[in-house]
Amino acid sequence: MHRLLDKGLEQLTAMVFKMGKVAEKALAISIGGFVRGEDTSEDVHELSEILVSLTVEVEEKAFGLIAKYQPVASDLRIVNSYMKIAYDFERYGRYAWDISFIRKRLGGLEGCEEWIPQFIEDMGEKVLQMVRISINSLETQDTELARTISKPEQEVDEMYFQYLDKLVKEAHATSQCTVSSVLVVRYLERIADHATYIAEAVVYIATGQKIILR
Amino acid sequence: MTTLKMTVNLEEARPDAKMQSIVLNAWFGSKQALKDINLTVKANAVTAIIGPSGCGKSTFIRCLNRMHELVPNARMSGQVLLDGKNIYSSETDPVQIRRRVGMVFQKPNPFPTMSIFDNVAAGLKLTGTKKGQNIDEIVKKSLQQATLWDEVKDDLKKPGTSISGGQQQRLCIARAIALQPEVILMDEPCSALDPIATAKIEELIVQLKNDYTVVIVTHNMQQAARVSDFTAFMYLGQLVEFGDTTSMFENPKSELTEKYITGKFG
Amino acid sequence: MTNYSLRKFKNKLFFILCAACVIIAVIPLLSILYEVVSRGAPQLSINFLTQKDADGGIGPAIQGTLILIGLTSVIGIPVGVLSGVYLAEFGNNKYATSIRIVNDVLTEFPSIVVGITAFGVVVLGIIGSYSPLAGAVALSFILIPIVARTTEESLKLVPNSVREAALALGVHKWRTTLSVVLPAAKGGLVTGTLLAIARIAGETAPLIMTILGNAYFFQGFSSPMDALPLRIWRDSLQPYANLQAQGWGAALVLILIVLSLNIAVRVASRGRLRR
Repeated sequence: MHRLLDKGLEQLTAMVFKMGKVAEKALAISIGGFVRGEDTSEDVHELSEILVSLTVEVEEKAFGLIAKYQPVASDLRIVNSYMKIAYDFERYGRYAWDISFIRKRLGGLEGCEEWIPQFIEDMGEKVLQMVRISINSLETQDTELARTISKPEQEVDEMYFQYLDKLVKEAHATSQCTVSSVLVVRYLERIADHATYIAEAVVYIATGQKIILR
Repeated sequence: MTTLKMTVNLEEARPDAKMQSIVLNAWFGSKQALKDINLTVKANAVTAIIGPSGCGKSTFIRCLNRMHELVPNARMSGQVLLDGKNIYSSETDPVQIRRRVGMVFQKPNPFPTMSIFDNVAAGLKLTGTKKGQNIDEIVKKSLQQATLWDEVKDDLKKPGTSISGGQQQRLCIARAIALQPEVILMDEPCSALDPIATAKIEELIVQLKNDYTVVIVTHNMQQAARVSDFTAFMYLGQLVEFGDTTSMFENPKSELTEKYITGKFG
Repeated sequence: MTNYSLRKFKNKLFFILCAACVIIAVIPLLSILYEVVSRGAPQLSINFLTQKDADGGIGPAIQGTLILIGLTSVIGIPVGVLSGVYLAEFGNNKYATSIRIVNDVLTEFPSIVVGITAFGVVVLGIIGSYSPLAGAVALSFILIPIVARTTEESLKLVPNSVREAALALGVHKWRTTLSVVLPAAKGGLVTGTLLAIARIAGETAPLIMTILGNAYFFQGFSSPMDALPLRIWRDSLQPYANLQAQGWGAALVLILIVLSLNIAVRVASRGRLRR
């Protein structure tokens, strides 16, 4: 039975999924560019702007659906969660932009010790994997997949604190490398957090339970 | 179709329950309208009964005040407890039960030959419970509780049918309240009213639960969400799910309930 | 002819046919009224209306009709109304169905048979002579089924929601019927009763063998009594012109009584409808 609400939900879903794809692309370009030492700020900026305007559209659509149709149960959980997920995707875009901007403004990993670029690349890869989990589990409504985000989330957290500790103890790097890399590592950790929020929302939509995967 | 079966220890009457139905079945002739309903109505709370047309919700509440048996060929089995005592026991007078369990109907039905004042006083006068009481005071208090006093206080002698539909419904509520029942049953009280009148009655219901126990039948899910503390979902004469309203509307346990309240059927 | 003008013609033809039938139906009524008024009106005078037969009046007949209406109402209306109440409020079983059938048959009963029955039972059996009571009993046999039926119909028109409202308050069923349902059906009850009275006011056959007729005013419950229908019948059979004229006068009076009852009914219903 096709309800009036269903059309609205389809449109809302399409917008959110589109945001996911754009956000994933922005992060891939930005993190890759930082690690390889390329300036990607213009492309990433464009993508980030798209995400900002889509966030506004998603919000308006969601509020409109709530006001008009007063959804309940799973419909309500979907609309509520999609609003929050849209914000998480917007954050993806924002951090992607931040990473590429830092590289442009302060420089990348040029003056760093050997272990640092590899470390950052590993962490970046893990975070991108989490981003992919968050988007795929959302698109396929796969709660099993969503729950697998716990492990990399813990690993990324450990890597974050590991990096900070190491940097403090072994103060060999140049200040440009230090500032640049610490900022980026911080952004990566936040991206991982948002990926986890999205995965938690996927479980909430499906089961109505609010769980913590961090 | 998944159904949620609820089993209740037959000996046990819940202490905080104002009313409780135990294995309640009801028939119209050979057609069974209610199957094994076990439901608890908590005191000083609003319990909503939702479900598609024909699911037995009106039949159920009519069993709570013994109005079901007034229909020719109607019968029931099982127990209905009011404060722990079965209202269908052979020593119980149905008329006394109806004075303790009042009812408001879907279509407002003030007595056509009586004035507004007489309508509210009708319960007292016709049941002989007026001895030694100040009827004027009771009528005023009832109309105030029903939030109708200010609108009709200068027109008490006007016929009960001369006011608007929403006001007539509040008049019927005042009439029921005048007898100081313990429970108020409402059978889709707002379905014949416009949105503004509906909103007034919903506000009234929320206030009423301070002094009374309310059971409301509604087919409007959002109304149940707005006014009730507990919700029961019935389908084809059976109780499918019962729980506190908030969790039922955010996350129903039964797939059937979810399908119904999201409008995917019925 | 086009389709449209053919249809118009058919419409007009049908209309003219119906109108013609209406006129044919109304002509007898109009001619009756004309005859009665033109022949009866000259008879009307205070003397005519109040003096006894020997003095050229139909006073006894008018008195008799009024007494009969009174007695029949006292006997018949309570019984009829309460029967109607039973059938409407408590009559959902097979006994009530049979009672309804019997009732409907009685409304169509030949009034002469009712008269003979009353003669046998009341005149011969109970009282031993012609009597106004016998006449009232006979007329009651006709009145009760009609009142019962109209009472039942009026009560059935009261929506069930009103009864339910009272019952849900914990009002006993008898009190509900008395204080809530009957007042709501008051209009229909009054209309039905007045129409039944108008009907029995003009019945002749039952009176022939129960009150017989009398030239004098009311003489007690064991004597014959006069009534307008009897007077009209007797007078019209007389060979004397003045008596026949008297008959026309009586007919006019009877028609006036029946008409005023009918008008009272109309006034009462219009009052109800306006509210």
